[in-house]
Amino acid sequence: MAMSILKLRNSPALRSAANTISRIGVSSSRAFSKLSEGTDITSAAPGVSLQKARSWDEGVSSKFSTTPLSDIFKGKKVVIFGLPGAYTGVCSQQHVPSYKSHMDKFKAKGIDSVICVSVNDPYTINGWAEKIGAKDAIEFYGDFDGKFHKSLGLDKDLSAALLGPRSERWSAYVEDGKVKAVNVEEAPSDFKVSGADVILGQI
Amino acid sequence: MAPIAVGNVLPDGKIFLFDEKDQLQTVSVHSLLAGKKVILFGVPGAFTSACSLQHVPSFIEKADQLKAKGINEIICYGMNDPYVMKAWGKTFPENKHVKFVSDGSGEYTKLLGLELDLKDKGLGIRTRRFAMLLDNLKVTVANIESGGEFTVSSAEDILKAL
Repeated sequence: MAMSILKLRNSPALRSAANTISRIGVSSSRAFSKLSEGTDITSAAPGVSLQKARSWDEGVSSKFSTTPLSDIFKGKKVVIFGLPGAYTGVCSQQHVPSYKSHMDKFKAKGIDSVICVSVNDPYTINGWAEKIGAKDAIEFYGDFDGKFHKSLGLDKDLSAALLGPRSERWSAYVEDGKVKAVNVEEAPSDFKVSGADVILGQI
Repeated sequence: MAPIAVGNVLPDGKIFLFDEKDQLQTVSVHSLLAGKKVILFGVPGAFTSACSLQHVPSFIEKADQLKAKGINEIICYGMNDPYVMKAWGKTFPENKHVKFVSDGSGEYTKLLGLELDLKDKGLGIRTRRFAMLLDNLKVTVANIESGGEFTVSSAEDILKAL
């Protein structure tokens, strides 16, 4: 029910703007997202770090350390996808499973990490990753204060769905910090361009 | 805002929960709690240690005793979104009575004056840990921790006050 509220709230003007940008084929991006082909992700989000999914005890013993983007992206081939929220419908039932089931194909293409990120704290995202059995394959990170997504222009207010400030649903292929392909759904409840199958075709 | 205290009437505001039919609802606090004897206990973070391993279990364990003493509702409250609160609630299969509600927007915690900055622990702004006894929206017991510690806000402490 919350997702249908989301669909209604997306203005037609927004939709048509997104429609003018080609979304089929090699790469795509929203005109107003700062993430596009050629962007250096670390420069686009300076000083931003992410929080690796962890239990509270792991947090305590690691002194609540954070991971700078350069550690995640420098010198690596990374597939990263972002979603509105742990424990919500499309995220749990479609988006993560899509990447989980294609892990062999990502490995075959030389991908070093497949990363899932959302605007959740690292303990919640850890509980969720364990619940959906995806923690072995995919690396989960929390963007708990939304800074990562805001820096990249991928933040989205989902208060209408009772989620507060979150992110778009998106995916990207990043090589040594440089964005090679990016896909952003028109609406966060959609699951058309941000799945594993699409990004595999763009690597 | 000054923290809520004994003698105050609980302010009205909106919180979120999944009802018995598993439907997402926005409810007014007053409509949920008016006319009832309620224990409202607050947790800084779902899926964190003290909350999961001590605070919630203390109320699940003592729920029958509390109900026998006339408590109508035992409600666990946190600033996680309602999906997370629901999923976390399900990790306690032995739970029969404790309900899990969300102040996902953080607005209600502001009204209660119970905000806690846990940004350096990766949680952002949350609620202080607390346990309150409410009688028709009037606060009769307010055991509020200064932060996330677990010293005065257990079910045992509330039972002593009944």
